[in-house]
Amino acid sequence: MDHDEFFLRFLLSQQHVSPHAAAYNRRQFLRRAFQLGIGASALAFLAACGSSDNTPTAATGGSSSGGTSSSGTTSSGSASPAANSATPAPVKLPDVTSIPENLKGKGEVRVVSYGGAFQDAQRKAYFEPFEKLSGIKVIDSEGPDTAKVKAMVDTKNVEWDIGEFDRGDVINLEKKGDYWEEIDYSLVDTANIDKAFQYKYSLDMLPYAQMYAFRTDVFKDAKPSGWADFWDTKKFPGPRTMPGGTGGITPDLESATIASGVALDKVYPIDIDKAYDSLSKVKDDVVKWWDAGAIPAQMLNDKEAVLATAWNGRIAAIQATGAPVEIAWDQGQLLKDAWAVPKGAPNKENAMKFIAFITMAIPQARLSMLIPYGFVNNKSADLIPADLLKTLPTAPDIKSKLLIHDSQWWADNRDQVLEKWNSWILG
Amino acid sequence: MAESTASVSIADQTESAGRNRATLARLRREVQLRYIAVVIPLILYLLFFYAYPVIAMLFRSVSEPTWSLTNYSHLVQTNVYVHVMWITVWISIVVTICTLILGYPVAYLISSVTTTKSNLLIVLVLVPFWTSILVRTYAWMVLLGRQGIINELLQSLGIIDQPLRLLNTRFAVYVSMVHILLPFMILPLYSVMRGIDRSVLRAAEGLGARPSAVFRQVMLPLSLPGVAAGCLLVFILSLGFYITPALVGGPKDLMISVLIAQQVDLFNWAFASALAAVLLVGALLIFVIFNRILGVEKIFGEVRS
Repeated sequence: MDHDEFFLRFLLSQQHVSPHAAAYNRRQFLRRAFQLGIGASALAFLAACGSSDNTPTAATGGSSSGGTSSSGTTSSGSASPAANSATPAPVKLPDVTSIPENLKGKGEVRVVSYGGAFQDAQRKAYFEPFEKLSGIKVIDSEGPDTAKVKAMVDTKNVEWDIGEFDRGDVINLEKKGDYWEEIDYSLVDTANIDKAFQYKYSLDMLPYAQMYAFRTDVFKDAKPSGWADFWDTKKFPGPRTMPGGTGGITPDLESATIASGVALDKVYPIDIDKAYDSLSKVKDDVVKWWDAGAIPAQMLNDKEAVLATAWNGRIAAIQATGAPVEIAWDQGQLLKDAWAVPKGAPNKENAMKFIAFITMAIPQARLSMLIPYGFVNNKSADLIPADLLKTLPTAPDIKSKLLIHDSQWWADNRDQVLEKWNSWILG
Repeated sequence: MAESTASVSIADQTESAGRNRATLARLRREVQLRYIAVVIPLILYLLFFYAYPVIAMLFRSVSEPTWSLTNYSHLVQTNVYVHVMWITVWISIVVTICTLILGYPVAYLISSVTTTKSNLLIVLVLVPFWTSILVRTYAWMVLLGRQGIINELLQSLGIIDQPLRLLNTRFAVYVSMVHILLPFMILPLYSVMRGIDRSVLRAAEGLGARPSAVFRQVMLPLSLPGVAAGCLLVFILSLGFYITPALVGGPKDLMISVLIAQQVDLFNWAFASALAAVLLVGALLIFVIFNRILGVEKIFGEVRS
């Protein structure tokens, strides 16, 4: 039945909680849906009337083929990472010309990432040069999910050699048992990667920001800045949207804590009850507690919300399409994803080589130039044009305004936070 | 001589009748075996890919972390889960009633017109059915949004000054779920109504019944199996809805499948299994109740005809 298959698919798609899956363009989506509907009704009409009449056949053929081709062009047009990045003109990417001998190999490596425009950018920034220089074939799939990693390792049927995961999720699975391979740092360019990014079972990549953005056509004179303004529903009235506690998302207790007057360096350990009390103060103005990264961007874009807590890459994507939206960086959070290798991955060695390669300066710089997320190799900064560099969440001017997200605190407290979330949201 | 011939022929006849019966029984067995052979692949498929995982899930809900009913007692003792179960059941009831009210006249209309017209109408019912749920849900988001068609129309007519909050509400959940589930109500209703002999209705009219009496005393009772089948389908499908309430619902429109997914994310698989088991048992219970009232053969037998 359509419903069940659909339900499963949605369940799976819900696991794509990282910030950088393709920012879907709803108009484009609807256009395609509309064409599909037209095609289907025309077909149905045909089926009902019998095929004796030639005219409707021609009409169907015309409308559906025309529709497919036009939607094809639009989607490829706006799904290209360049369109999503904040830079108007395409920049020349630095090329990787050689790699250390010990990163070369043979066979394949199966990579799982978050799909869409983001994975297109990764393909261009990482996978293509890696294949060319190492001789290892990259087979990529979409939808990383630590619950699936657990199932794969438990059943000894590991289908991913390496994946991109939320750092907190990696820690959570670490606590469940022996589910990850140790990272082989002997291959990695550790000299230029901060110690804080290196863990036994995962290596950080892709710093990104979770902050709020607002409609500039609504707040023309006074611009909101900082969480106190987000909480100030008199000075900045209008519907809001924030991350909720379902769909693999966690509520932004940091912002609630800061809004209640706690200084940035005193946020952790978070007082969960106080944070929820603080959230209660904006509860009535939050029209949607989102459970997937695409939602806040779409709601801002459609003016369904005028202030939205979101991930910076998503906002860049709607800005690129012309939405009157501005990011309020102040007091946002800097989060990170991590690369990790499931225990018993069949191509473990290749996975380690892959990690070592993509954390090199040039591949890291290439990705940041394709999509506005940060990098972990300090040398990458020299390769990125200055005007682009200053729009990344890791730019010194921006990073100094951000709170560094504490994955460990979340790994330790997530169950408790979410258990409370359910009763709080219904209360 | 004549007697003996007769007795022989009777004996022959009995014997051959016995042989015939035996042959018939053998043939019937063969046919039955053949039928069984035909469904064996499906049975194996269901056993392996459906029954086994479901049983494993039920097993997990009582075997982890230790052999006990702690998962279930946690479920019952935590107000949240009971509350969300109730929300789920309530939404399902409202959606079932609304689809019945909207779907019954449509099914009646389709079953009363000529074949050509009814084919066309059936297609109109089916077209949205062929479109993915996600697409239909997004369509409702476009219609109900603050800058959606409904709000803009009302504003341009001067009926409202400020856009109404239609999206992200329980109302939006009802509207879109009713829309999505309507074919599941109409089709069983139609297939039962088509089988109703119209001359019975005409006879009732001829005997002087008013239209309302014809409907109440003849049409409605005869179409009840369709009502039951439609309600059963819609209600059970509603219980498991996930996507629509998540996309168009308000903050408090949590349905149980959302919480199950949340528990899977938290690696509380045993507890998620317990929640799923309760949902499964609930659905089976509803089925049993319907079966008691109407009889399963009646529900599905009539639908098949």
